[in-house]
Amino acid sequence: MIILLLISMLFDDSLALPQQTISDAQLEFFETDVRPLLADHCLDCHGPKKQWAGLRLDSRTAMLKGGDTGPAVIPQQPDVSLLIRAIRHEDEDLQMPQDDKLSDRQIETLVQWVAMGAPYPDAPLTGKRFRDPEHWAFQPPVAVQVPEVLDKTWAQSDVDRFVLARLEAEHLNPALMADRRTLIRRVTFDLTGLPPTPEEIASFLTDERPNAYAQLVDRLLASPTYGERWGRHWLDVARYADSNGLDENVAHGNAWRYRDYVVASINADKTFDRFITEQIAGDLLESASDDERHQFLIATGFLSIGPKVLAEVNQPKMRMDIVDEQIDTVGRTFLGMTFGCARCHDHKFDPIDAADYYGLAGIFKSTRTMDTYTKVAKWHEHPLKTPEAAAMLAAYDGQLAAKKQEIATLVAQANESARSSLPGLQAPPESLESLYPEATKTELTKLRDELATLEKTPPELPSTMGVMEDEIADVAIHVRGNPSKLGDVVLRHLPPVMHGPTMPTFSSAQSGRRELAQWLTDAQNPLTARVLVNRFWRWHFGEGLVRTTDNFGLLGEQPTHPELLDWLARRFIADGWSLKAFHRLVLNSSTYQQSSVAAPETIDRDPENRLLGRFRVRRLDAEEVRDAMLQISTALDRTMGGSLLQVKNRAYLFDHTSIDKSDYSSHRRSLYLPVIRNNVFDVFQLMDFPDPAVPTGDRSTTTVAPQALLMMNSDFVMQAAADLAGQLCGETEDTTARLSKLYQLTLGREPSEPERIADLAFLQQVNQSFQGSELDDQIRSLKSWSVLCHTVMASSEFIYVQ
Amino acid sequence: MASLLAGSSKATDAVAAGQRALRLPHFPARAKRIIFLFMSGGPSQVDTFDPKPLLTRDDGKPLPFAKPEIQFNATSNLLKSPWRFRQHGESGLWVSELFPKLAAHVDDLCMLHSVHGTNPAHGGAVMKLHTGSDNFVRPSMGSWVSYGLGTENENLPAFISICPTLAFGGINNWSSAFLPAVYQGTALGNASIPSDKAHVKYIHNARLPREIQQLQLERLEKMNRDHLARSGVDASLEARLASFELAFRMQSELPRVEDLSTESEATQRLYGLDNPVTANFARMCLMARRFAEAGVRFIQVTHNDDKVQWDQHSDLKPTHEKNAREVDQPIAALLYDLKARGLLEDTLIWWGGEFGRTPTAEGVGPSAGRDHNQEGFTMWLAGGGVKGGFRYGTTDDYGYFAAENKVHIHDLHATILDLLGLDHERLTYRYAGRDFRLTDVEGHVVREIYR
Repeated sequence: MIILLLISMLFDDSLALPQQTISDAQLEFFETDVRPLLADHCLDCHGPKKQWAGLRLDSRTAMLKGGDTGPAVIPQQPDVSLLIRAIRHEDEDLQMPQDDKLSDRQIETLVQWVAMGAPYPDAPLTGKRFRDPEHWAFQPPVAVQVPEVLDKTWAQSDVDRFVLARLEAEHLNPALMADRRTLIRRVTFDLTGLPPTPEEIASFLTDERPNAYAQLVDRLLASPTYGERWGRHWLDVARYADSNGLDENVAHGNAWRYRDYVVASINADKTFDRFITEQIAGDLLESASDDERHQFLIATGFLSIGPKVLAEVNQPKMRMDIVDEQIDTVGRTFLGMTFGCARCHDHKFDPIDAADYYGLAGIFKSTRTMDTYTKVAKWHEHPLKTPEAAAMLAAYDGQLAAKKQEIATLVAQANESARSSLPGLQAPPESLESLYPEATKTELTKLRDELATLEKTPPELPSTMGVMEDEIADVAIHVRGNPSKLGDVVLRHLPPVMHGPTMPTFSSAQSGRRELAQWLTDAQNPLTARVLVNRFWRWHFGEGLVRTTDNFGLLGEQPTHPELLDWLARRFIADGWSLKAFHRLVLNSSTYQQSSVAAPETIDRDPENRLLGRFRVRRLDAEEVRDAMLQISTALDRTMGGSLLQVKNRAYLFDHTSIDKSDYSSHRRSLYLPVIRNNVFDVFQLMDFPDPAVPTGDRSTTTVAPQALLMMNSDFVMQAAADLAGQLCGETEDTTARLSKLYQLTLGREPSEPERIADLAFLQQVNQSFQGSELDDQIRSLKSWSVLCHTVMASSEFIYVQ
Repeated sequence: MASLLAGSSKATDAVAAGQRALRLPHFPARAKRIIFLFMSGGPSQVDTFDPKPLLTRDDGKPLPFAKPEIQFNATSNLLKSPWRFRQHGESGLWVSELFPKLAAHVDDLCMLHSVHGTNPAHGGAVMKLHTGSDNFVRPSMGSWVSYGLGTENENLPAFISICPTLAFGGINNWSSAFLPAVYQGTALGNASIPSDKAHVKYIHNARLPREIQQLQLERLEKMNRDHLARSGVDASLEARLASFELAFRMQSELPRVEDLSTESEATQRLYGLDNPVTANFARMCLMARRFAEAGVRFIQVTHNDDKVQWDQHSDLKPTHEKNAREVDQPIAALLYDLKARGLLEDTLIWWGGEFGRTPTAEGVGPSAGRDHNQEGFTMWLAGGGVKGGFRYGTTDDYGYFAAENKVHIHDLHATILDLLGLDHERLTYRYAGRDFRLTDVEGHVVREIYR
């Protein structure tokens, strides 16, 4: 928006620029609108390859010099510039482009551009300029010196020294340390997505060991609920869903295996280089056992679970759309890059050419994701030859054999008696069946029907969404992304602008996914580790060191602490790509343990908390809100893994009937509720669950009235409150004890005296309001407590973590 | 007040404060609000508003030119329309006998006969129509309009979709995608729910009497204020306080607008509430008028039954007749009623499906139907600054392809935004490092239809 404003200001400003000084706004205008237009419509004939009529249009100098008929452009004078006259078709013998007149808007763009003085940057661009190959994120992280700090007592780790050095440079102090109650609530939600129980809080408060907090972190990291929470973060990035979404919203009946694989991997602290490799090329890895082989195949579900236009009638387009979705996801997830733009033209902002895009496309075009492309298209699933599968198959074969045997026996018996009933000399007919008694015939038909049914309904054997190798082929550039307009074939390659990792060679025998994974996890890759640690940081602190977690390109933001980012990236690799090591490093820092209350001066000077001089108050995520309510009302079912989908694999979740076949009544953790694209569970939708069609490393936090309606009126919240009230009232008659328990469970603390008084008065008021209705005392009291529980559960203190 | 109503998203709290507030358009608007009557499935242009004499003459013969490269299903030879067309009104616009009541209002209608799209399947075409994109999740048009113009009634959502279909993109067709959540459409029920049972989720509390809820909200507000005081200044916590106030007001305002019982019997009859054939759609149209009056910006009404209502691959005759009967009177009433109340002046009505149908037959004999056709079909606009009794663009002699003055879906989007005072090239939102628009890099405003 700002840039657009700048451009319009520019047009209003009649100030002429005699020589070329180019503002950022002009530059963006040129790179966004003018350069692609010249490239698409002019440079084929008037560029480096051909210079028809002696004219080149690939630099300002060349344009001013012009061709056989004189200068092409006179800056600020569009009406007399030959370029403009030509594209306007003003002269009969000078009409360009020859084949196809530009649209009015394209013409207007060039007119505006000439009018502003035809700013045309001379290559190469440097500094914060678009398509800059020197952009910081494309250079490998360098070893950095940990800074010296003045305050020698605050820092507990090198992380703190980086943070403190910035604060000290701005003459700001970090906030005080958070108290233990705040800390256990913060870190328990952070690592497990659940509130600490009153017992856990009490035990931490009285733990006098010097390393009590570090012990707490270790306890949480060892809990399987940790993988459920941090696995979910990864699933955001992996755009995980249990249905396809888009046009044909059919069930991903086996996607849950990928989800469970992610949770198990995170719990096991699988090294991230390995984790990435399995997801991109699991099917190509050597495995030590059947079970490991299955895990590898399941991992490749990462590439398959994206949304697809399954009824796309143009099949080559569908195929390239799927490739595009994979390139886009891999780009954003591991590199923080948006490659999608380069499908139609060179990327306008990042130094990624269309050729680089099709170099990647070759890898995914050589990968098989789909079994058929005819509408409704079918994605591939790997059969999983598990012992259960073998047992199911054996049982099925047994049933088939038994049925066949039954038929054979019946036929044999019937033939026997038919033959014996034939008069001696008569030759038996071809088939004796016509001679069977009616009852036998009926019986035989029934058995054969049963056999046919059995044959038609083989058991649904375990299988998993995933990819495999296809015909290996390099891909031609698709002109403007059009699959029927092909240009030169591009050999598979990886974007050369990312300096550092060894550029692999691609063989004609494999798709190249393995090489891609190697390149991504190369310690010299400038982006992978940075993008990962920045997201981990975001998930702990609510904001990344680079706020645009999924865009590290030229339109992404600069890191607030570039040295810290590089230091963390290198440390992560040195720690063997271990996420748990990262957690220990960060959670044990003073930076993380600060209070969320800061000095007024800090808030004044750093309102957005870019310098990390306090802890950021965080609203619970959608899943945390639901899980916390269930845990508190003792209804949470902790069973792990498996599928809660109510429809069969590939069946429609939503079709033309608009009847909702989703079911969210389960009390399992939110992670296990089906994620239905186009129709995400409304409780989640309202609480900013990310769109599961696109990778998201940075969920948003909105505050809107429908969330308040959900809190006030939904059956889910009301029921949780009623359950909690029932539990409190069942335990004790003592009102003070009930209140204490309520606050401990929900807020992790005792009520203050004013709160106690206010709550008691409130209970009485509500109780009186129920008087009119015909309820007995006990029910009225229970209902009043339910309203109070409901109120506390809807309170900001419950929904936010400090 | 604006700051109290705000939704707040990270790092944009200052901006967020004004998110729902009324905003000035880019230039003077011709329409202040829009009612989109979405005919799900794709009504046939050659059977409704775009008569083709050559189609009648050449019934049963092959199409004399090539069919499109990409077709949804296979079709055979030409199939003439089973309905007669007649000219109506002073303008003499053609309407088939499918819409006898609507025909009386042709002098208010602006026919766009040359609309065309890109996708021949329902899913892609519905998403394209609603969001401008058929293969990415993008903000819906109503969200763009609320983002551009804000709300006229701070107690109501700015964008309401009545009984939308959950198929073919589902909520993506009324979601805000990457735009802030305040611009999300609010759905009343869905296409599987009769319109008298269609309500906003969680708008009603079945368990708590209102006076107790009021007490509860007072206690809650106190708790939240104390908490805010302890935590220090925080924009999102402040916004949360305000969101409960707004929610409470919405809770009384929405049901009041939805409640049709206060409408006179004459009005109810006018729309067809008394007739079981028309009642369901009539209620939606009457609610639409009430929402328009109450200041809602973008109101969508979807005509969709438990099949894909207008999707007549077979049984064209009986089913198109049934469909038309359900909507003819309610739509005519809506036009009449808005006009009588002086609302048609600045309310734009938009009628159409995600595509049209082929002039060639799918299937044979009396049960024949027509396939999807995105190459050329009719939509109409009325009110809100467009010419009445006007026709723009044509299809070829058989009604297959848009021919003259073609209007792509992107062009239609650009034009409708323009009518609402929004420049489709300036209505942008920066997300994931680039500026997005409803019309992407396309869109041409059709000024020729302006009054």
